[in-house]
Amino acid sequence: MSEPAIRIKDLTKDFRIGVRGVKLRAVDNLSLDIYDNQIFGLLGPNGCGKSTTMKIVLGLLEPTRGECSIYGVGSHSVKSRVNVGFLPEAPYFYKFLSGRELVRYYARICGVAKSEINDRTEEVLKLVSMENAAHRRVGTYSKGMLQRIGIAQALVHDPKLVVLDEPTAGVDPIGSHAIAELIVALKERGKTVMLCSHLLAQVEGVCDRVAIMSRGKLVLEGGVDELLEKEDERSLIVGDYNPEAQKEIEAVLEKYGAQLRKVEAPRISLDRLFLQHTDGSAIGSGQDVSDKEGKQ
Amino acid sequence: MSAPGRIGLIARNTFLEAVRQKFFNVLVVLSIAMIASANFFRQFDFGSSELKFIADFGMGAIFLFGSILSVVVTAQLFFSEIENRTALTMLAKPVYRWEFIVGKFLGVFIVLFAFVTLMLALLAAVLYWRESGLMNIHPEDFEDGRLVNYLGIVELAFSELLKFGVLAAITMLIASFSNTNLYTVVLSFFVMVICQLQYIARDNWSDLDNPLLRGLVWFLSLLFPNFQMFNVGEQLIFPTHDATLSTGGYLGIIAYGSIYICMLLGLSAYSFRNREI
Repeated sequence: MSEPAIRIKDLTKDFRIGVRGVKLRAVDNLSLDIYDNQIFGLLGPNGCGKSTTMKIVLGLLEPTRGECSIYGVGSHSVKSRVNVGFLPEAPYFYKFLSGRELVRYYARICGVAKSEINDRTEEVLKLVSMENAAHRRVGTYSKGMLQRIGIAQALVHDPKLVVLDEPTAGVDPIGSHAIAELIVALKERGKTVMLCSHLLAQVEGVCDRVAIMSRGKLVLEGGVDELLEKEDERSLIVGDYNPEAQKEIEAVLEKYGAQLRKVEAPRISLDRLFLQHTDGSAIGSGQDVSDKEGKQ
Repeated sequence: MSAPGRIGLIARNTFLEAVRQKFFNVLVVLSIAMIASANFFRQFDFGSSELKFIADFGMGAIFLFGSILSVVVTAQLFFSEIENRTALTMLAKPVYRWEFIVGKFLGVFIVLFAFVTLMLALLAAVLYWRESGLMNIHPEDFEDGRLVNYLGIVELAFSELLKFGVLAAITMLIASFSNTNLYTVVLSFFVMVICQLQYIARDNWSDLDNPLLRGLVWFLSLLFPNFQMFNVGEQLIFPTHDATLSTGGYLGIIAYGSIYICMLLGLSAYSFRNREI
């Protein structure tokens, strides 16, 4: 059996918070396997240890105990990061570079061949719908644009594993929706995505598996469908609803020993309603205006 | 990409960030103004010693602003990466932490190189201009030709650069374990003063009777680089039979600075190795 994309075994991380040896246990004996070509959501309230776990996976923090590996290579080794793209929470990038320069810079750092840098840069800029704003300085970008240029830099070297920390934090629903679609598209391209978030509705829509952490411990892990589905219940969506027909349906259900528990008008989500009434193609890119136009 | 390639990229990006900071531009303008202002003292008519005055004044300006630049720019460029969390993105790539430290240092070193070259070129231009003027006014002082050794100014550029490089490396070491920019800047200036004045302790070392104290002073004199070693401006610019610097002595200074830089960067990389970002 092939190595999982991420293997976390008996991981514990303590932070020293006082002078008298007082420690805060951020992650407590966590074990987790994330397999290839999955979208995996790591969930939990603020301060539950999600980001600490993610940093240990990426080799940015040393664990107190336990092990962590990426495709079989220990996280402490720089080589484990060759196949990883990372978007940090609320990313800040070099403000003095343009979006295109930034992506090119990270492409070179990650060892993309010189002959491929231009093509790869343009490809990922297009993927995150930033090709029209790529000439602007990063310092002029909105939060949503920063997230998307962050995803572009994470993908530019075509990594097998993409780690996203709160990818939609502070992003409007249109931007969030675009990022969610992008995550699904990454899976279709064969990538493994590890996603840290507390926006549960979005996680539910994109993740194959989730793990929930609380106070540094793993409290639940499994496939989204298997965790959320009620095995002995089903909902029927009826078109051209008729109250008389409902009575007959109830009688039929009773005949088979089942009960009709709830009748309600289906609702679309507020996110969906928002997306239907806004221009999704104009995601946070603004418009370039010449000096002449600006003065008018 | 190889390690030198990644280091070069980080250095280039650091240099770009530094020159786009207003602080650097203001300091360069101030330094130029200070060196150029040395000209206005000519109304006192010092004769040929005016050249020494201009050189001392110029080197003083370079030392003052170069020291500020070395400490403040190193601390600022390091902490901007930590505070803006760009270091997080960078170190999540296949980049070793020592490459990050060396790349940041080299970026600062290029800034210092640009600064020292610009300042000494300006000082040389001012000296040449005044020397030409004085040759007409006091020809008797210049019977053996020009007094200023302009090649010596080129040599001085490297020794000054290494002095500022050592100071930048000290700042990098302090930044690698400290939590704030301010603490780094204050402590670095404090260490700079020790390095500048440690020759006093060296001079008194042999007079100490207590072997323990002698050992301590000896150890401290090794721990802190002696910045007086780099004060060879006068010997290089105005060499005389009594006061001149041999090639061996000059190369010794270059080696002294280079060894300290390498050691300090090694310690910085070690200290930064397990830092939680």
